[in-house]
Amino acid sequence: MDLLQGTLDMLVLRTLVFAPLHGYGIAKEIRSHSNEALGIEFGSLYPALKRLELKGWIACKWETSEHNRRAKYYRLTAEGRKQLMREHSKWAEFVNAVSLVMGPNPDEV
Amino acid sequence: MNAWRKLKYLLPSYRRSEEREMQEELESLAAIAGRRELGNLTLAAENARGVWGWAWLEGIVADVRYALRVLAKRPSFTAVAVVSLALAIGANAAIFSLMDALLWRELPVREPERLVLLERYSVSYLAYSRFAQNGGSVMEGVFAWYSDATRRLDVGGGAQRGTVALVSGDYFPALGLRMQLGRGILPEEDQRGQPAQVALLSHAYWQRAFGGDRGVVGRPIWVERARFTVIGVAPPEFFGLEVGSVPDVWIPLSTFGSVFSGPNYLDSPNDNFLYVAGRLKPGVSVPQAEAALTPIAIQIDIERNGPPDTEARRRDLLKSKVTLRPLSKGLSWLRQRFSKPLRVVFLMVAVGLLLACVNVMGLQFARAGERQKELAVRMAIGASRWRIMRQLVTESAIVAASSGALGLAMYRPAANALASLIGIGGGQTARLILPLDATMLWFVAGVSMAAALVSGVLPSWRATRLNPAVGLPQVSRGVTATPQRRLAGRVAVAVQIALSLVLVSATCLFAFSLRQLRSFDSGVRRERLLVVDVDANDGGYKDASLVALDARVRNRLAAIPGVADVSFSQVGIYSGRNSNDSIEADGYQSRNERDRDALLDQAGPRFFTTLGARLIAGRDFDQTDTPSAPKVAIISQEFARHFFAGRNPVGLSFSNWEKHLYRVIGVAEDLRHEVREKPQRWFYLCELQTGKHPQVFSTRFLVRVRSSRVVSAAGLRAAIVAEDKTLRIDEIATADELFDRTLDEDRLIETLAWGFGVLALVLAAVGLYGLLSYEVTRRTGEIGIRMAIGAGKGDILSLVLREVAKVAGIGFVVGAAGAAALARTVEGLVFGIQAGDPRVELAAAAILAVVVMSAAWLPARRAALTDPMSALRNE
Repeated sequence: MDLLQGTLDMLVLRTLVFAPLHGYGIAKEIRSHSNEALGIEFGSLYPALKRLELKGWIACKWETSEHNRRAKYYRLTAEGRKQLMREHSKWAEFVNAVSLVMGPNPDEV
Repeated sequence: MNAWRKLKYLLPSYRRSEEREMQEELESLAAIAGRRELGNLTLAAENARGVWGWAWLEGIVADVRYALRVLAKRPSFTAVAVVSLALAIGANAAIFSLMDALLWRELPVREPERLVLLERYSVSYLAYSRFAQNGGSVMEGVFAWYSDATRRLDVGGGAQRGTVALVSGDYFPALGLRMQLGRGILPEEDQRGQPAQVALLSHAYWQRAFGGDRGVVGRPIWVERARFTVIGVAPPEFFGLEVGSVPDVWIPLSTFGSVFSGPNYLDSPNDNFLYVAGRLKPGVSVPQAEAALTPIAIQIDIERNGPPDTEARRRDLLKSKVTLRPLSKGLSWLRQRFSKPLRVVFLMVAVGLLLACVNVMGLQFARAGERQKELAVRMAIGASRWRIMRQLVTESAIVAASSGALGLAMYRPAANALASLIGIGGGQTARLILPLDATMLWFVAGVSMAAALVSGVLPSWRATRLNPAVGLPQVSRGVTATPQRRLAGRVAVAVQIALSLVLVSATCLFAFSLRQLRSFDSGVRRERLLVVDVDANDGGYKDASLVALDARVRNRLAAIPGVADVSFSQVGIYSGRNSNDSIEADGYQSRNERDRDALLDQAGPRFFTTLGARLIAGRDFDQTDTPSAPKVAIISQEFARHFFAGRNPVGLSFSNWEKHLYRVIGVAEDLRHEVREKPQRWFYLCELQTGKHPQVFSTRFLVRVRSSRVVSAAGLRAAIVAEDKTLRIDEIATADELFDRTLDEDRLIETLAWGFGVLALVLAAVGLYGLLSYEVTRRTGEIGIRMAIGAGKGDILSLVLREVAKVAGIGFVVGAAGAAALARTVEGLVFGIQAGDPRVELAAAAILAVVVMSAAWLPARRAALTDPMSALRNE
């Protein structure tokens, strides 16, 4: 659960690296970037946004969308960028460690 | 940063604006994506609110609000629960604070653990001076104090009585106090040749006499006739070094002569009037200090009594040893006297608290029935058992917290009232400083918390033990009480009755003991005997003139119609006074100094006759014992046994410390000044023959009247004032009243026991009444059926009462065992009765049985008056 929650936070931060997005936009972005593999429930995403905001890693502002609709846009703060870098290297280490243990698929050996 | 942001969410306004913002955002997203796409937005919002981090607090606030509503809807339950718990908590706090003040609290001075009292008894000024001069190798400071009786104090607004303590110059420097105002008395202000007339006020006296005026330093205050200058005010928690008394004013010891007329004790090497204490140097142990101080004590003895002239005295001197006693908690005679009584009382109040908790628990059990529907509905719609229990325990916690607050408000007046039952001699009562400090707050909070848990957890656990699936239909049909639930209520009642029996039998035991004590034969016929205390200090009487005055006042009192006999003495009866002398009797070999000690009183003619005391041999003092006649004495039985073992003392002689020879003319049966004291070695001299009357003692006139209605206090007063207007009458009391004052511990315990006995009865009655009322209501249908098939009113009445009797019977058996256990702990405190006396147990059981049956009567009668038709229709 902890890992999952932390992972979601990391995904959100990563998604916001290029441009500010509103809540629904973040969910769509994660889904499309993962080739529809990661379907994030909005019900989980929204509290995560609030949590990240409270920690000061993301900030938000009301803006008008491309379809001329008002929405709250989240962007990465400097603090959030640092956090993402930390998370990213931790993630890389983790993936590396797991793949060392797992090795190639046993079927292919 | 993060914590700060979180804190902001505690502000309701901030939370409201955040909430609005969130709703707006969610709506805007819904407009972009469509509601379906986003799923359960309410849940998302709820989880987001969880991020704010105060969900638990909101939960508690909601619980508290709900609990307050529930409690407000049942005012009678709430009032009974809060008041009974508050009484119990307040009593516990009161006793705890008394125990803290008398037994546990350390002196509010710098490093109290290094303070020691030198010698067991008071010593002379000479001894103090030698210890102070030569004790420097092991002591950081040696100081002395003299706590005087009441004196005349005047701050410019008329004379009042107050207590004065005289202290040596090292006293305040050695204690190291932080004064409230000004400074303490300095060593250079306590010089024999040139005493400084300076005074330090106690905090309480400063408040009383100066209204807490901060400009008091430098103002004058008169002690007796001498003018002093106020130099400071002691901190509020400082009461001197004697627990139980708070001097109003401290003045330098060397001002003794300027304040008190009469002999200056400071000049006399034989007036042992000072307590001497000191502060050990760091790293010096008590045995080391004792070893270093012993040569000084021997030197003092030689200085007083000359070099050892006999072999016995030489051996005595070599064996003598200074003993140091820890003084970290101050000096207290009350501590020894009250430590056991207070422990017993503490046990009793603890039982009282338990009883109050069980009482509330029982009420909760009864109420759980009423609330079953509510709880079943809440569980049916998904509330967890823990959630509901939390809610119910919150209710108990609120009740306990309010009780704690009430108890906190009550305990100080209660403790002060109890302290005022404690006499410290001279007609004064104990004054204790009982601060509302952190210890007390923790104690009350802890007790309240425990009360909440004891009274709340079990009932809520039981109340929530129902299966919602079957619970709801069951509840709506009105078939509520499962056998277990009825059992729980009954167990609560049985426990209440058992605890009540413990308290009530303790009450009976102490009441019986006090009755025995009051009828104790102390050797004086107390009925129709009055004691009048006459202080002649203001008129300037001393020795010969005072002795002559005593005789004249005696004649005036004897002339009042209705007075049968009058005499007087310096000690009187039950006064707590005494004065020592050292006896040499022919044929008596003393093993050590203290063995020669005897207690002295100087009396007027017909002393023993007036008291109604029995003379075993010889005669009373009479008019023939004039100054020119041979000097005579009357001795107590114990004196005779000790100094004249086996011989008939009448006609034999002894001499006192001044080497005056007295011939024994009578032997009096031992008079007891206190019930529990052993017979003492008293000897009585004829005041007219000695021609002496120490000024510290007022004269105590003993007046035997024919009928208490004929002679009034005002008549006695008038006769005395007619002799001289300056005579002060400090007290007119009956011998019974004075005797009663010697029974402080017993009266204290008995008063408390009464309080708790009555409380126990009331609680038991309320608990039983509540539970029974509920059961009767619940069984209306059953009773209706019984009556419909032919049961009469009497059958129903006996049905209900029989069940009560069954429950009460179990309570009585358990309670009797508890009472026996309590009785064992009070052994030694009760007088004239065995702790397990069946009469006491029976009396207690009878009283409790009457109360239980009266409490059961009302609900039972209501059951008997049930109208079968309407009962069945409701079913």
